[in-house]
Amino acid sequence: MRRLFVAQPAVVYEECVTHESSWDADEALTAVYTAHYTSLVRLGALLLRDTGAAEEIVQDAFVAMHGRWNRLRDPHKALAYLRTAVVNRCRSRQRHLVVVDKHTPKSLPDEPSAEQAVLRTAETDRVIEAMRTLPEKQRTVMVLRYYGDLSEAEIADTMGISRGSVKSHAARASKSLRQLLEQTV
Amino acid sequence: MSDKQNDPFDELMRRALHEEADRIEPSDALPEIRARAHAQRPAARRPWLMTAGLAAVGTAAAIGAFTMLNGADDTANDGDEVAGPGTTVTATGAPQSQAPSVLPASPEPSAAPTQPPSTSPSAMTAGPTDRGVTEPPVKSAVVPVYWLGQQVGAREKSAVRLYRTWAKVSGRPAEQAVRIMTSKQPNDPDYYSVWRGAALNTVTRSDGVVTVDFKELPKATLDSKLARLATQQLVYTVQGALQDNQTPVQVTQAGRSVQKLFGQVDASAPLGRAQAAEVQALVWIDSPTEDQAVEPKLTVQGVAAAYEATVNYQVTNLKTRETRKSFANTKEGQKFSSYSFQLTLSPGPWQLSVYLVSPEDGRVTDTDTKSILVK
Repeated sequence: MRRLFVAQPAVVYEECVTHESSWDADEALTAVYTAHYTSLVRLGALLLRDTGAAEEIVQDAFVAMHGRWNRLRDPHKALAYLRTAVVNRCRSRQRHLVVVDKHTPKSLPDEPSAEQAVLRTAETDRVIEAMRTLPEKQRTVMVLRYYGDLSEAEIADTMGISRGSVKSHAARASKSLRQLLEQTV
Repeated sequence: MSDKQNDPFDELMRRALHEEADRIEPSDALPEIRARAHAQRPAARRPWLMTAGLAAVGTAAAIGAFTMLNGADDTANDGDEVAGPGTTVTATGAPQSQAPSVLPASPEPSAAPTQPPSTSPSAMTAGPTDRGVTEPPVKSAVVPVYWLGQQVGAREKSAVRLYRTWAKVSGRPAEQAVRIMTSKQPNDPDYYSVWRGAALNTVTRSDGVVTVDFKELPKATLDSKLARLATQQLVYTVQGALQDNQTPVQVTQAGRSVQKLFGQVDASAPLGRAQAAEVQALVWIDSPTEDQAVEPKLTVQGVAAAYEATVNYQVTNLKTRETRKSFANTKEGQKFSSYSFQLTLSPGPWQLSVYLVSPEDGRVTDTDTKSILVK
């Protein structure tokens, strides 16, 4: 029940660091990890509903970031890179699951455990269930918008789609969600 | 989006997603990430990504570049229906990262003398004290390189299979293929090689045996299944480059025979090729390749060992979500055999998945997926 009812500050994907340009890859890794590892895993877990898979994906992204630090040279760029890598990998995993889902009896790792379900408030439960009905792109846009607090432009960059597409995905998702949630609110 | 704070819907969404997210407290992974970053070790297997870049297909014709090496084994290519040179394969060129144009072929002074390309197979029969002859260098060849990757729907977590990529090389094809296998990162992050850290010396051929001599061998001890598969990874790669499935592979270190590979596999005698059914991934797509731009009317080709010859597929338009599902048949069931089917797709990004389903319970057991762009 940790912190469940405590309002959390929005995750801000910006950071203020000094002297970062002189960091070597290890220093950058440690700094960016400390600032963002948890929120990136949470982002991945929201997209996948599978924390273990999210952790693996985020770890891979950090390994890749370390390898290309010489080109990134900037924690802001590094974060944008990580975010894009995590979102892309989560999305390709979801697409794969679309196939697997149809043929697998409900034993997927993205099923919440009974314990988790109990810990959720009814309100969150409704929202999460409603999110499940959205197509993958719409859901990704909504997660980046409301959990990541990203702007339209940042979402567009992260997903590699146009701002117009972000807008229309968000509009469609909001419409469906409002309808679904109003039925139960 | 702080300007929309007042909308109760936005508030609800923000609150619910944060609440959901905040329940997740990942454990510290920095030491592991650091270790992996420094070792540049491949990632842990994630089967759902297994698919991308599986078959970066090269010019089939180029593989025939040194058939002269084969002699009597000429007909045995990289596994009958295993999409070797004999199988129809679309030429799209190997991806850049897989195609090092210049890899230093650096035979040690002790290496066997290079035979000119005109040497006939009979002249390659080496004397008993000779370590054999190296293959002739070629300007350009496309060689298969095998990797390890996890089997998607396997019951055991550790079920690993061989997956193949193609690489364009110049120099001595088998040596280059082994160098890629031991030193490069495969295109697909889900493939890996436990041969990392091994340093190849030479690949030589003498009567009835191919000798792969290493300056250094991997020191890791693996579990016996993985060790066996990793050994086959080398055998398949070497034999694939030589287009010879028959001749066994002797592993040596600095010219001396090796007792155990990976602490498990007896390597004192030449190693034979394991049956494809035991080691090879059960389905893959050869064409189209990952991220390929294709015409609306396209033919999908690949290889599968499928129960009742049935290969299922699904294509999904990533924009419109339009989805089509059907199945195709391999030429023969139960064994590795080619399949192909035709699709007519509207322009846009599509995801193509080909998969096998367990006859027992309908689980997806094996899959390969390509993202393609229809022009």
